[in-house]
Amino acid sequence: MTDEEQNRLYWQGLREGDKESFFSLYNNTYFHLVRWGLKITANDEMVKDCVTQLFFSLWDKRHKLNPVTNVRAYLFTSLRRMLIDQLGHHSKIDAAITHLADEEVQGELSYEEIIVRVQHDEELKQKLHRALEQLTPRQIELIRLVFFEGLTYEEVAARTSQSIKTAYNTIYNAIQLLRKLLK
Amino acid sequence: MDISSYTTEDFVCDESFRNYCSGSDRAAVQFWKAWIRDHPEKTGEVREAERLISILNARQGNVQEQLEQLKDGILRFDLLKTTISGESEKAQAVRWRYVAGIAAAFLLLAVAFWLLTPGGRTVPGRTVAQEIRSGREPRKTVVLPDGSVVTLHSNTTLTLVEGFGNTGRELTLSGEALFDIAHGGQHPFIVHTSAVDVEVLGTLFNLNAYPQAGFTETSLFRGKIAVSLKDHPEQKVILTPSQKSVVFNSPGKIETAPGDSLLKKASLSVDPVNHKAKEIAWVRSRIKIEDEPLEAIAGRLQAWYGIPIVFADDETKGYRYSGTFESETVVKALEALQLSYPFNFRVEKDTIIIGK
Repeated sequence: MTDEEQNRLYWQGLREGDKESFFSLYNNTYFHLVRWGLKITANDEMVKDCVTQLFFSLWDKRHKLNPVTNVRAYLFTSLRRMLIDQLGHHSKIDAAITHLADEEVQGELSYEEIIVRVQHDEELKQKLHRALEQLTPRQIELIRLVFFEGLTYEEVAARTSQSIKTAYNTIYNAIQLLRKLLK
Repeated sequence: MDISSYTTEDFVCDESFRNYCSGSDRAAVQFWKAWIRDHPEKTGEVREAERLISILNARQGNVQEQLEQLKDGILRFDLLKTTISGESEKAQAVRWRYVAGIAAAFLLLAVAFWLLTPGGRTVPGRTVAQEIRSGREPRKTVVLPDGSVVTLHSNTTLTLVEGFGNTGRELTLSGEALFDIAHGGQHPFIVHTSAVDVEVLGTLFNLNAYPQAGFTETSLFRGKIAVSLKDHPEQKVILTPSQKSVVFNSPGKIETAPGDSLLKKASLSVDPVNHKAKEIAWVRSRIKIEDEPLEAIAGRLQAWYGIPIVFADDETKGYRYSGTFESETVVKALEALQLSYPFNFRVEKDTIIIGK
């Protein structure tokens, strides 16, 4: 069964008020939603809060939910709407953020932008920015697939047409360098 | 490759270690938790590896921890529903929006405010004698002057009134704590929170009264307690074991029908897996001991309950135990151990002393 077929079953369970289906749906989609959210705004706290709130509201209106064919797409759209609302709300508070929000909502953030922006510590931001410049594009791409997208070495090897060992070694060397630079 | 010789990079590049960090694989979580506990010498490498992984995954977080938060929120939400049921259908429909709003707000605030230290409320008009704070410690256990043992959850403040133990036994709680109250002669034991007052004889109960949480929950496990509303002391409920009372702190938003009390009784929420009350899951320890000396076990109890445990003599340190046991308080844990070996322990100020 594909992920999406599973999600449809969980969705059906949720509509019938089954808590286990609901929690399974959460487990099955959490990382997809967080990653999707981070590409809209690199504020991990806001993204995680919105994901929780999204599921909370699903539970609240479970008996009124309609059948959905593409569950993940439905969740993505709902999360996006919530994040944009949140960003809009923030922007009312702070004009400086308005600018940021507009900029963020327009395009998708790159992996490097996201991991630098979610850091709170200015010094670490700088270090990370400089460290990423030391890596080859190939290394960054493999690190993104493994750490951000959560792929296994096997999946990475298949996707980039190289052996598992080569993929592992490339990442290992990159991590060695990053560790030194991020001390 | 042997894990004990892992470098930081080896941990970072280990697929199963990453699954432990993200909480996406239960078996990996179980394995690494145990392994890390048993290899304190590798703590440095493990922490650094966790830090690097968190940077590289853009702080996506741990799905299991996030799910627990959601479950907790839904539990409280459903509880709220039972608490307000029994009111008229029409009133309920109107109130429903408020409830959803409050519960959702709670979810959002819970994380944001978790790290902020709440300001300790004091009993008005009295001199403050002593303040006990848990700060960011997950649990901190203290022994009060009257012999009662209290375990504080994080960011919790207890304020004892002057002369506690001599002229009375009253204190103020901001946060959450589990109380094991000593039978106390002539003075009743009274806990004040911003919403309710709890009067106790000798008993075991948990009181959850974080100021930002929007509710005050009193759960009783042993004995008998009376909970009364701070602003309406005539509104009072008596709890018997396995019952709890929940009060929402903004009565202005939840209107009650005339004659209807804000104080409601409910049963404790039972965890379907271990059949134990969820209300005190934060403090219950489950300790698995495999032929370990009492000194090592005491070290683990000390770390869990947040109270120093010292030995008065060397012989007891060497007593060896095996087995698994669960207990709510550090005193219960030591009493369970006493069944196998005849040692004694006493509590003095903020320390437990084990001797022959």
